[in-house]
Amino acid sequence: MTAIQAPGSRPARGGLRRRLIAAGPYLLLAPGLLWLLVFFIWPTVQMFIMSISSGSLDTGFRLTGSTAAYLTALTKFSRQFGNSLVYGGAATVLDFLIGFPVAYTVAFRGGRYKNLLLFLVIAPFFTSFLIRTISWKTLLDGPFLGFLRDTLHVLPADASVTGTPVAVIAGLTYNFLPFMILPLYVALEKIDFRLIEAANDLYASRWGAFRHVTFPLALPGVFAGSILTFIPALGDYVNATLLGNQQTQMIGNVIQGRFLQLNDYPVAAALSFILMAAILVAVSLYAKFLGTEQLTG
Amino acid sequence: MTAAPRTPSAPAGLTRRRFLQGSALVGFSAFLAACTAAGESQGPASIGIPTPPPESLGPSAAPTPLPSPTGPLQFANWEAYIDQTTAADAKTGVLPAGSSPTIENFKKKYNVDVNYVEKINDNEEFYALIQPALSTGLSSGWDLIVMTDWMAGRLISKGWIEKIDQSTVPNCVANLRDPLRNQPWDAGNDYHYPWQSGMTGIGYDSTALKHAGKSAPKSLADLYALPANKITFLTESRDTFGLGLLKLGKTADPATTTDADLQAVHDDLRPLVDGGARFTGNDYLQDFASAKVWAAMVWSGDLASSADASQIFVFPAEGTMVWTDNMMIPKGATHMYTAELMMNYVYDPNVAAQIENYVYYVCPVKGAEDIIKALNASSPLDDYHLGLLFPTPDVVAKQHNFQFLPDELDAKLKELYLDLAGQ
Repeated sequence: MTAIQAPGSRPARGGLRRRLIAAGPYLLLAPGLLWLLVFFIWPTVQMFIMSISSGSLDTGFRLTGSTAAYLTALTKFSRQFGNSLVYGGAATVLDFLIGFPVAYTVAFRGGRYKNLLLFLVIAPFFTSFLIRTISWKTLLDGPFLGFLRDTLHVLPADASVTGTPVAVIAGLTYNFLPFMILPLYVALEKIDFRLIEAANDLYASRWGAFRHVTFPLALPGVFAGSILTFIPALGDYVNATLLGNQQTQMIGNVIQGRFLQLNDYPVAAALSFILMAAILVAVSLYAKFLGTEQLTG
Repeated sequence: MTAAPRTPSAPAGLTRRRFLQGSALVGFSAFLAACTAAGESQGPASIGIPTPPPESLGPSAAPTPLPSPTGPLQFANWEAYIDQTTAADAKTGVLPAGSSPTIENFKKKYNVDVNYVEKINDNEEFYALIQPALSTGLSSGWDLIVMTDWMAGRLISKGWIEKIDQSTVPNCVANLRDPLRNQPWDAGNDYHYPWQSGMTGIGYDSTALKHAGKSAPKSLADLYALPANKITFLTESRDTFGLGLLKLGKTADPATTTDADLQAVHDDLRPLVDGGARFTGNDYLQDFASAKVWAAMVWSGDLASSADASQIFVFPAEGTMVWTDNMMIPKGATHMYTAELMMNYVYDPNVAAQIENYVYYVCPVKGAEDIIKALNASSPLDDYHLGLLFPTPDVVAKQHNFQFLPDELDAKLKELYLDLAGQ
């Protein structure tokens, strides 16, 4: 009997181990999943519940399943949604145009100064985001503009850069530039230079080699960089607050105003939800367009 | 130009005075208690004046035997609202640069640390910061805050403010100016004592206006006529819309103003906002410092206390908004006793005069007037500064209080303001 039982019990022990091994990846994922559950999924659910609630801060919000907040969010703020898309998009494109040559130079021509150059890209970030943005206020309306306006009189007396879309886009471009440069650098730095040499050997012009070899290989960096720039730029409200005027408010400003001034939590939640959904759709379209296999590099 | 002596008054004189006051006060406070009880019934609740919560009848907090000051006292206030060490003082090394003599003297006197932060830029903005904690019964992290009447009334009516132990604040009880007593939202001063009163009017940068060939605004109509991208209004929508009503020749009175009146102000402001006019909190001071604005709606004392003499406050011809900012101790404050000591300290007329002589607001403390004048004996104040400290009768006649709005009007105001603000 024991002889029969023994083989029976051994598979049981082995089964446990097998199950443990099989569960291994999930166990390893558990801390991350728990983190996501507590700090992402649960707040998102709560935000959704808030977006379909009604009431006021004083009387409390009750879940009523009302879609009024979504109706308000979608109909009243087209200008601010538009501003966000245009400013965020413009900042991303500008960051790419400025960032790509920088990343290319650091990766291929940086030589022993690579680390120093990368440090210089990040160095401004040792200063607070707010201080940097406020400094831009001074820079944009600073002595140079004052000289042109008040001394040379080549600009009208009320000329000013701050308080215009240009200032907001400039601020966004500046603040998110490293988020573009660093992923681009990583992608470019990884490129096997022999591939470019091979292209040259096969009579590709320098431009042809760049177009057919370097740039396609850098696409994962372009994707990561533009996502990392566009998403935070889209939701940013600090640049519009400090550098813009009431006409250049972005959707982040609306959410802030609804949430903190009007205490209209349902509309603020609905706006956040719409923004999240819009970003999700945009990113998946973008990923499809660039090809998902590119993302893993 | 007034070269006001900003050195702190001699501590020796201070203590003697305080001693004399203290002894005179004991009887007076009893008299006052009787007064406030009589004044309790006046409270026209119809125009949205909140009232304090019903007294909880439970045993009052056990009297702590002779508490000692604890710190650091977390004190949130508005910008340009306390005396600052002058460059000369800082050079002698008596006080660190950027510090406030009043705060430094308080620290020395009570041997307690104070964290004085210029954290308040706008009532609603600060409310949004402390509301989440206070509404769930948690500490806001502040021991002493300074809010305008309507917001003070709201906080008190929600039961979020600690009751002041009047025996700790004899100076306040004795020296609060009479017109500021018996506020319907806290008749007995159980929860608040005023920090400063002031007015909302027009501020301008005379240098920038001269450069641009514009004349200085004397009225709200003049302000509205300046290039829109060079003027700012206040995020404090009661001020902006209140003055907006006066500009249109309407009265700014919570009892008679209608939604249509507010809509008219909104429509009047719309083209300016479309032309680039902005809304700011107390941070308009930075815009003035960087010459980004030519003129703006501002609060009365701020520009006078800035170092730049070309920044000037003017009482608009149409009238001003009047208000008082009040010290309060939020529920859950960890250093409540120290906060009360601070209230009491700044109600010493000598201390009040020293603050006033720097901030140029209207002092709520009896007896400070003469000391302010004495402080400037060597170079008497000009009419401009005197007018800020002691508003003339014709200024007072045109003051409007547009603060305690009924709920519907308040909702309409918020909606119209946010629409203008692009939010």
